[in-house]
Amino acid sequence: MSSPQRLSLSQSVALVWRTLRSMRTALILLLLIALASIAGSLLPQRPNSPERVLQYRAEHRFWGTFLDRAGLFDVFGSWWFVLITTLLFVSLIACLVPRTRALWRALRTPPMQAREIDAFPQFAEIRVAAGPDLAIDSARRALRRRRFRVARDSSRPALAAEKGVAREVGSLAFHWAFILLLAGVIYGKGTGFSGLIAVVEGQTWVDAEANYDGTIQAGRFFDGFTGVGLRLRDFGSDFLRSGQPMDFVSSVDLQAPDGSLLRQQDIRVNEPAKIEGLWIYQSGFGWAPVIEVTDRGEVVWSGPVVMDRDPAPEGVVELAMPWRGVVKLPGTGAQGTDRAIELELWPDSRAFAALLDPGAEPQAMLVAFEPIIRFSVWEGPLSDLSSSGLDTASMREVSAGIVGAERTADLGGGASLAEGDAESGSGSTISFQELREYSVFQVARDPGLPLVLAAAILILVGLLPALYSSRRKVWIRADPDGDGAVLRMGGLAMQRKPQFEDEFARLVEALATAAGGSPPPSPANDGAQDLPGDRAQVSQAGSQAGSQAGSQERVQTP
Amino acid sequence: MTDLQWARISNDAFNVALFAYIAAMVGYFVHLSFKRDAFWRVARAVAVIGVVANLASVVARGLAADRVPWGNMYEYSSMLALLVVVGALVVVEGVYKVRSLTGFALMFSVLTMAVAVSFLYVGPGPLVPALNSYWIKIHVQAAIWGSSLFALGGIATIAYLVVDRAERKKLEALGAQSPPPIMGGAIDLDAADDARAGAAPSDLVPDPAEDVQAVLARRRLVPSAAGLDRLAYRIIALAFPIWTFAVIAGAIWAQEAWGRYWGWDPKETWSFITWVVFAGYLHARATSGWKGRRAAVIALVGFASLLVTYYAVNLFIVGLHSYAK
Repeated sequence: MSSPQRLSLSQSVALVWRTLRSMRTALILLLLIALASIAGSLLPQRPNSPERVLQYRAEHRFWGTFLDRAGLFDVFGSWWFVLITTLLFVSLIACLVPRTRALWRALRTPPMQAREIDAFPQFAEIRVAAGPDLAIDSARRALRRRRFRVARDSSRPALAAEKGVAREVGSLAFHWAFILLLAGVIYGKGTGFSGLIAVVEGQTWVDAEANYDGTIQAGRFFDGFTGVGLRLRDFGSDFLRSGQPMDFVSSVDLQAPDGSLLRQQDIRVNEPAKIEGLWIYQSGFGWAPVIEVTDRGEVVWSGPVVMDRDPAPEGVVELAMPWRGVVKLPGTGAQGTDRAIELELWPDSRAFAALLDPGAEPQAMLVAFEPIIRFSVWEGPLSDLSSSGLDTASMREVSAGIVGAERTADLGGGASLAEGDAESGSGSTISFQELREYSVFQVARDPGLPLVLAAAILILVGLLPALYSSRRKVWIRADPDGDGAVLRMGGLAMQRKPQFEDEFARLVEALATAAGGSPPPSPANDGAQDLPGDRAQVSQAGSQAGSQAGSQERVQTP
Repeated sequence: MTDLQWARISNDAFNVALFAYIAAMVGYFVHLSFKRDAFWRVARAVAVIGVVANLASVVARGLAADRVPWGNMYEYSSMLALLVVVGALVVVEGVYKVRSLTGFALMFSVLTMAVAVSFLYVGPGPLVPALNSYWIKIHVQAAIWGSSLFALGGIATIAYLVVDRAERKKLEALGAQSPPPIMGGAIDLDAADDARAGAAPSDLVPDPAEDVQAVLARRRLVPSAAGLDRLAYRIIALAFPIWTFAVIAGAIWAQEAWGRYWGWDPKETWSFITWVVFAGYLHARATSGWKGRRAAVIALVGFASLLVTYYAVNLFIVGLHSYAK
């Protein structure tokens, strides 16, 4: 006793499937993706700029929370964006499968014969000297020469021909390519990774999880590190006097997992190194002074300190800012407390000196020139032993000073010490032995790249015939007429109808020539000569039927 | 010659081009209103002078900076203006024999150049390392060619919507004049659409106030709505693969420079939006019920999206492409 309107399960599934397949659905989904993308470009996005998201949320408390709940700070990773994309791809596949099957069938079956030839938008009737069978044969040859697929009717002198299947092939290739693209993206995201590394000049880095300082972002199915090595021989930068960067180059040795040298290479912006599926990019740089700290003659710390630059305040160039680093020495302070030395590097001491002049403009430090380090020594419990950042909340500053390059200073008083004079003073010294640079590399692996590239090529290759090729069909029937035959020719173009009108006219002329000029069967030979001009009378009905073309147009595209 | 001299030549040629385009634009509009071939010949000659000056400006700029002359928004705008005018003269006037759009194309170029010289000017200088790649030749060129054709397509679409509106009004007038429809004789808009493909209604109902010569001249000057629709489609169908290629080339460059081929940077996002909208346009034209005006509206949205992709993303939205100024 169910109401007649209610659909059965299979009917509803069929309805949903039909709806998904329709172009209208695909268009609406495309529109939704465009709208979501607009939101994603106007609001700060967490994967691209997390700090701007925090700032936005701080400035717009209510809206910030609301937008965050809705996933609008990570549009392209939100569940609803994934849902729309999935629906679009389901819609695409639902449309592509039957179309591909239809194309496959159409390619294997000969073109369909037509019953009513004069009903087509293009129609012509010509008289030719040749008999029906011969006329059809010559028409077949002429159409084949024009790369039509031709099928001859088995029961009578007639044929059907078509051309321009490249349009549908191209269109299908273009659309299937997006499935391939999606597969490549998912495969690459699932098995690839990306991370940042900082390597000091002279140091060697090895591709292993511990050496990414926690910056690694790996896919769920990422299957391990290569163990290849990278030794930074030298880093160089080049700036214009205006501070505009000109070049950043890292000269590196690339090493096999066993440490043997594979090759030397310069890595630049836009020129990554590619090794074992890893792509290594020039991503940043900084200073890493080599520091040695001694305590009563004993070396307690020695090595390069990787430094970060202070963020520049409004109106000051970044290159004018000093660099900061910290050396943490647990258990080396008075009575066994922890000790830490904060370092502030001025790669160009002239910029530091200039700032001593009140009201002076900060100067950009483009090259190293007699660098100096200001240091301050802190005592108290260390909250962590990481190589960056110092929490001085429970520490106190005990001394401060300045040390120049290739100099040694007393940690207690800061006075510069002469060579071999380390015994005097506080008993602790700091040496600024050498100023080195470090280079920051982005290391990434994306096994999906070949698939994505193949998809991109297929998209382009498929697009051209899909847009510029056109499907057209021609039908010809020959009926005996005296000694010769009357050829009735119909034509239909799915696209580019004005061009087809011309093509059809040329075709009719060519067929008239071919069939009229070919030797007619012997008894009809004399009669054929009587035809005016040895040709044919051409009557065309093309333009008058042209208005029907619109209703014939049924283009199905996803 | 020194870099400074080349820079000065480039700036002078830019000004010559801008004023030539303004003069040619006025000439084309005069031609549209008075329908005299002489105006058209003069306007076209002035436009060609503008093209030559514009090209000289671009080349001199490259010589002054010792690199490709499309490294910032000022240079990109100059080249865009050049290609829009060349496209209007070669494709629209040359191939499709439509003269009535060139004035509007010139207007687009004049606005582009005026904005460039007023707000975006920077002196010739070297590229930052991020831009210093052979991909700048491929990706940026494809983007300029695609943009210029999309711009022409947008102009043709606007013209289509205007003419279509006028034709519909005339058709309504025609419907009112004809005897009241008997059963099943209502005017079928689709059939009317097809009828218009052949001849414009202005020819079907000659206005007795207008002389025949003027009607014929107008008809030759402004194509029918169906013709403009087809022209817009042709140009957009030409632009779309180029734009697709530009986006793909950009993705390959991003993989080379930033370690990922796609990261939803605002520029990437907006070029994708533009691509999606024009893809929607191409699909809409093949869908019954979406043809004609609805598809045209989608093309206009694509045109707007293109402008956002170029101007708003570079100037107002923070992202990796914000180096342009």
